[in-house]
Amino acid sequence: MKTNTCSVSFSINGEKKTFATRPDEKLLDLLRREGYKGTKYGCGQGTCGACTVIMDGRAVYACLLYAMQAEGRKVRTIESMGTYDKPAPIQQELVAAGAVQCGYCIPGIIMSATALMETEKDISDEVAKEYMDGNLCRCTGYEKIWVALRRTLDRAAAEPKKKASKGGKK
Amino acid sequence: MPEIIVKPASLKELWKTLPALGKARRYLAGGTDIVTADNAGAESSECWVDISDLPELGAIKETARALFIGSGVKISAIENSAPARRWCPALIAAIPHFASPSLRNMATLGGNAANGSPCADGVCALVAEGAFVHLAHNGKKRCLPLKDLFLGPKRTALEKDELITAFEVPKTKHFGAYLKLGPRAYFGISKAAVAVSLEMSGKTVKRASIALGSVAPVPFYAVKTSAWLAGKPLSSEVVLAAAALVMTEVSPITDSRSEADYRREMCGVLLERALKSVCR
Repeated sequence: MKTNTCSVSFSINGEKKTFATRPDEKLLDLLRREGYKGTKYGCGQGTCGACTVIMDGRAVYACLLYAMQAEGRKVRTIESMGTYDKPAPIQQELVAAGAVQCGYCIPGIIMSATALMETEKDISDEVAKEYMDGNLCRCTGYEKIWVALRRTLDRAAAEPKKKASKGGKK
Repeated sequence: MPEIIVKPASLKELWKTLPALGKARRYLAGGTDIVTADNAGAESSECWVDISDLPELGAIKETARALFIGSGVKISAIENSAPARRWCPALIAAIPHFASPSLRNMATLGGNAANGSPCADGVCALVAEGAFVHLAHNGKKRCLPLKDLFLGPKRTALEKDELITAFEVPKTKHFGAYLKLGPRAYFGISKAAVAVSLEMSGKTVKRASIALGSVAPVPFYAVKTSAWLAGKPLSSEVVLAAAALVMTEVSPITDSRSEADYRREMCGVLLERALKSVCR
C-alpha cells in the first residue's frame, strides 16, 4: 500500500530506474523532466497521440497517466527506437516518403506503429489504420505517413526468416 | 488535482483505508475521463484512490448462466476475450467506436459507467445487452439493471464511495449490432448511437433490446420499441415501423455536437440499419 509516495520505479527503455515524483505529476511530465523529450505534449485530452508511449506492450497516452501509475511497469519511449545514424525501418521509411513536416506527431506515430507491428501478424490495411486512429498529424494529410507505414509493414513481411527466428511459431 | 494517490492492494484493504482518507476523494480507474478533466483544471478532488489494479475488478468470468466482466477490465482486453465475443455481440460491435486504440488500452467499462455520460459507447451497448451492474460498499453489495444506474447527465445512483465491481450479462444466444453517427468514421463523440440485441426464433423476434446514446439525458433504454418488436417478424415494414416508433421515444437536445431534430431523425435511420444488418 502506497500513500503519498514521492518515488516511482519502473523500467524505462529496458533500464530499471527510480524517480522522485509528486502525486499530481503526469508520466509525460516526468519523462520530459528526466530528459526523454521525444515524447510530446499535444492536447492533454487523450486525443492527439503526441505523448504516446508503450507500457507493458501496449500504446498508451502519457498525458493521461500519473507518473505513480507506472510503478513496476515497462515503459518504452521514442528514445528506444533508432538513432540518426541507425534509424529503425519505420523511421527510414518516414524520411524516404517525406512524411515528416513539423515532426511533432512523429514520435507518437512511431510508437503506435511499433505497438502495431509487435502485436499483430499479417497486418491488413484496415487493422493498421485502426491502430493509428489515435494519432493526429496536422501537416501532412496522413497520406505520406500511411505510405511509409505500409512500406515498413511490407518490408517486415518480406523478411520471414528473421521474423520466424525472433518470434518463434508463426 | 491529486495531492495524494492511494493504491490499495485488495478490496478488503480498500474498505479499511477509505475512512481515514480526506473527504474530497474519488476513484481512479483508467483515468481517461477524470485525468482529462484534471488536465483541464476541472477536477478538484484531493485524494485519488487508484483502483486500476484491484484483482477483484480485473477479470472476465463465466458461470453457467452469465458472463461477468470486471469493472476494471481494459476495453482492449474485452475486445480480445472469446467469451465476450460470444455472449456480447453488441458490446463487441461498439468497441471499434470506443475512442481510439490507445484509449481502449487504458479505459474501463467501470469508468465508462461511473462517468455517467449519455454518450458512453460501451455503456449504451451493455444496456442493450440487458446487463446488470454489481456495486459494493464495504460489506454491502447490491445489483441493479444497468439502465437504472443512470439518473441524468453525469449523475448516477452510485452512493459515496460505492464501487462498481462488475457487469453481468446473461448468456443468451442473440444477435447484436452497434451503429454510431459521429463527426467522422472513427474516434469522435457520437451525435447519436444505437445498440441492438435481438433474440430470434427463425425470422421472428423473440426478444428485442434497444438502447440509444447521446439522444436522452442518460444512456437510453427504448422500452416501447423493444417491447413492440417482440413477437413480430423482422420484415421491412416492421423495421420501418420500429424506426418510426423509436423516434417518438427519444428526447435529444441541440448542443455543440448536433441538433435535436437531426438526432431524432438519425435514431430512426440507425435503428433501421441496425435491424436490417441482423436480417441479413
